[in-house]
Amino acid sequence: MPTTARVRRLLAALLALAAAPAAAQLRVDITEGLAAPMPVAVPVFPTPTVTPTPAGDTATIGEAVARIITANLQGSGLFRPIDRAALPRPTHAEILKPAFFAYRTLAAQALVSGFVTANADGTLTVGCYLHDVFSEEELARQGFTVPVAGWRRAAHKCSDMVYTRLTGEAGYFDTRIVYVSETGPRTSRIKRLAIMDQDGANHRFLTSGQNIVLTPRFAPSQQTISYMSFEGNRPRVWLYTLGSGRQEAVGTFQSMTFAPSFSPDGSRLLLSVMASGNADIQAVDLASRRITRLTSASAIDTSPSMSPDGRRIVFESDRGGTQQLYVMNADGSGVTRISFGEGRAASPAWSPRGDLIAFVRIRGGQFRIAVIRPDGTGERVLTDGWQDENPSWSPNGRVIVFTRTERGGRSTLRSVDLTGRNERAIPTPLEASDPSWSSLLP
Amino acid sequence: MTEVRHDRAPAMTEGRALAIAAAAHLALIAALSLAIHRTPPPFAPGDITPVEFVDIGAVTTSPSPAPPAPAPAPPSPAPDPVEAAPPEPLPVAPAPAPLPQPAQPRDTTAQDAIPQEPPRPVPRPAPAPPAPQPFDPGALEALIDRAAPRAARRPPPGTEAQGRGAAPGAPGPQALATLEAAIRAQIAPCWNPPVGGADVRAMTVVLRIRLNRDGSLAAPPEFVSQTGATEANASYARAFVETARRAVLRCSPLDLPTALYPQWREFELNFDPRVMT
Repeated sequence: MPTTARVRRLLAALLALAAAPAAAQLRVDITEGLAAPMPVAVPVFPTPTVTPTPAGDTATIGEAVARIITANLQGSGLFRPIDRAALPRPTHAEILKPAFFAYRTLAAQALVSGFVTANADGTLTVGCYLHDVFSEEELARQGFTVPVAGWRRAAHKCSDMVYTRLTGEAGYFDTRIVYVSETGPRTSRIKRLAIMDQDGANHRFLTSGQNIVLTPRFAPSQQTISYMSFEGNRPRVWLYTLGSGRQEAVGTFQSMTFAPSFSPDGSRLLLSVMASGNADIQAVDLASRRITRLTSASAIDTSPSMSPDGRRIVFESDRGGTQQLYVMNADGSGVTRISFGEGRAASPAWSPRGDLIAFVRIRGGQFRIAVIRPDGTGERVLTDGWQDENPSWSPNGRVIVFTRTERGGRSTLRSVDLTGRNERAIPTPLEASDPSWSSLLP
Repeated sequence: MTEVRHDRAPAMTEGRALAIAAAAHLALIAALSLAIHRTPPPFAPGDITPVEFVDIGAVTTSPSPAPPAPAPAPPSPAPDPVEAAPPEPLPVAPAPAPLPQPAQPRDTTAQDAIPQEPPRPVPRPAPAPPAPQPFDPGALEALIDRAAPRAARRPPPGTEAQGRGAAPGAPGPQALATLEAAIRAQIAPCWNPPVGGADVRAMTVVLRIRLNRDGSLAAPPEFVSQTGATEANASYARAFVETARRAVLRCSPLDLPTALYPQWREFELNFDPRVMT
């Protein structure tokens, strides 16, 4: 009979279930780990033949490459490079067959190794390998051929490869920062645009300092920078094309424009336009130069920053009486306030990852870098300076670069990661403010 | 420098004023560009030094690379002189031979992207790797206390626990709890979960562990299952699984009561960092 057969089957199934626990395998939940940086070994990159180059011989470059990778990984706060003095110096042949045992005794979990060779055409090739020290697997490898002058980029690319493979997230080392270099007394400050690698190397000034410049922002392509300049005593937003050095004012606004920022696809520039004591956010289509007004409240609406999907914009406004953060749709509709609580909130920057908005929390005269979710929940203050401002995200949405002004007035650049525990100074030749972090270089 | 004229000419119509202002702006821009041109160009045209990606040696031996997404940064960089160059065989890394892996790109589903039972012919560390462990028994004791507050006693290597609860063949719940605590206490300090990832909260992985009687690994940790992995976070999911495998490799051999060997000869570890994050 079909019914009894079914009942029997059901019974059998139940019995199996009942029996299962008895024979069940032991299953142990590991809910805790060690939230400590991962120990990694980055020995010197050997060279098969020591060849002189304009940047030093290939052996010297091999040492410098290892040093840069070490500094990058250490700076991320996620890795703990082992003291290089304790590491073996691998030969070129050992790069493919590392002496894992030696690295295990040093408690390294991952091995970053590679080589530097000079090519006949005057370029350098840096090979970069990542091994798991315990499983002895090769996890990744990549070669980079660079002009001699660009050897540091190979080290950054290698660092990004390692970071990405071990964390599963995009890296941020092969990037640049544009910022405002400042010098001179407060009353007659000289402010110049400057650009440098993420680690402070390859520093260059972009403008001469004749005019005050503020709030530079990288376009996603990294070939263009938008900023505000007082050129001709007329404060407005400009575009600077890297490479050619070409500068051009944006739009034909009759009044002051400020606080530029690019849409994530680079097609539009958001900015604030001042009119009769009121500032509104407008969008300039960079191809057609068509202008769209996005806000029209009788308030100062400024610091627009678009979400990575291009669908929403966070901005700062005093429409409610004090500076607070508001989120609206990209067409200006659906404005919602997201910052509440004691104090003011300013200078929002939407994370490239989309999950957070960095901003300045102003409370009791103290300016600190904080993050908040786009829906207004989960606010966390990350820094504790006297005056920390101008947050800008690393392209992987994990680190924030910002300006710290000390009580004496001295301002410097610093970075802090999302945990708030890993805060670092970024070296600049002069005082510095208003940093903007580029996306990953191609 | 030319005189800058603003659009506030009082006796004019607005239209004319605008026109003049526009002209003046153009003149200003022209003058400025000239002025800029005269100052030494701060940036040489070939400013970004190009990086050419080249293949070095054989493909990696790592399990099924998820679609290599070197730059998931949201904004796609504009076309640039630098493009991933066609892989040119390098004279340097002369080892295309040793590991001629069929680099078959597997499915991109997250589960498949996860290193499963490694089917590679790589000589793995012998079943009983005598790898020196950075193992601090003192720290371990402390961890045992913290990790298993409810286990009435520490897990002394021995059969004491078993004797308390149950017949020799079937260890009682207490003995099992003690065994669990001992395993947990030895694995947890070796586990460096990737912290701060966007999806870390929801992700767990289960590995099957097979041990020899001396506590060493009888086989590499075997991937059983994973939660929280999506197509979008495949590379994170892979890195997550690897941290778990690395924890087991680092901390074996495990020191467990021999009398309970039938219970720990094969077991599963569920790595779940929810508490940490």
